[in-house]
Amino acid sequence: MNNKEWTLDLQAYVDGELEPSRRAEVERVLAGDVEARDLVAALRALGEVVRAHEPAERVPETREFYWSQVQRRIRLAEAADARQAAGASRAAGWLRWLVPTLGVAAVVVVVSLNRRATGPVVEVASAGMDDAVGMTFRSDTDGITVHWLR
Amino acid sequence: MAGSLKPDLAAETDEALVSLAKGGDMEAFEELVHRHRDKIYARAMIMMRNEVEALDLSQEAWVKAWQRLHQFQGDSTFATWATRIVINLCLDQIRRQKRTRAESIEQMEEETGGVERHMPVVEANPTEGLESEDVRKRIDEALGKLTEAHRTVVVLHEFEGLEYKEIAKRVGISIGTVMSRLFYARRRLASLLQNLRKERSE
Repeated sequence: MNNKEWTLDLQAYVDGELEPSRRAEVERVLAGDVEARDLVAALRALGEVVRAHEPAERVPETREFYWSQVQRRIRLAEAADARQAAGASRAAGWLRWLVPTLGVAAVVVVVSLNRRATGPVVEVASAGMDDAVGMTFRSDTDGITVHWLR
Repeated sequence: MAGSLKPDLAAETDEALVSLAKGGDMEAFEELVHRHRDKIYARAMIMMRNEVEALDLSQEAWVKAWQRLHQFQGDSTFATWATRIVINLCLDQIRRQKRTRAESIEQMEEETGGVERHMPVVEANPTEGLESEDVRKRIDEALGKLTEAHRTVVVLHEFEGLEYKEIAKRVGISIGTVMSRLFYARRRLASLLQNLRKERSE
């Protein structure tokens, strides 16, 4: 273990962040290492001092003025929430109509396309005579008519 | 508190005020704000080191507290819960600000092996013999001299009592970086407090 890892392990020991097995190992090393014991003591002392002297500040405004600002923000936030909820409700209303309408429109389009594809696009007719056979192919889509006689 | 009689809110416990506020009583909430506003503001000040930002974030924290009051189940004290809200707002603000400015070279060095080079200069009882208010003021000044990254881990660990893994999660760094930053910050704090003793003895 290098110096950095050892130092951070000592800190973790002070902070109560070591696994029990590692903790026991650190305690065993600490017993014979004066410098490490000094560091542990210093870290503990510093932590205690800092925690006991947490910087204190006072709001630089009167109770009434500070609260009026908080209250105004709360009302603004509530108004924004209400607008958002109303917007969502309107969108939901639109969706209620839009979804079935789009569904019906989609069905109409599909049926129409199918009709065009299977209806007048191709038409084949044939006729038989005593000495010849005739066949007619007509496509409305392509605008062509072919007569075939054999 | 029977019938339509308004309870003396100033005499109520936080728990009773929270209960009233959850029912929509804004006056009860105002009393809670009044009781804890200094602590919330102080925490924002330690983190941001800027009065305008601290005021803004402390007020925003109270708005969030009002909106999320139904989520408060009493697992911690109300003050602790509200403090966590302002801390989260400060962390968000710091993240936003960080996007617009580069990390300092000094900070990068501290996080990439600084611990080895800066072996302990911390000593036991760094503030021995000093007045309490003096120490408090000096600690505040020392915190102000730390980089934002180092100050954040100190505040979250020492004042919020968060474990390494929780700090790592909240700040978005590895546990190893939390440990390095914490050690560097402590060493620097100890050094700054030591200077105070030297000044006094001269």
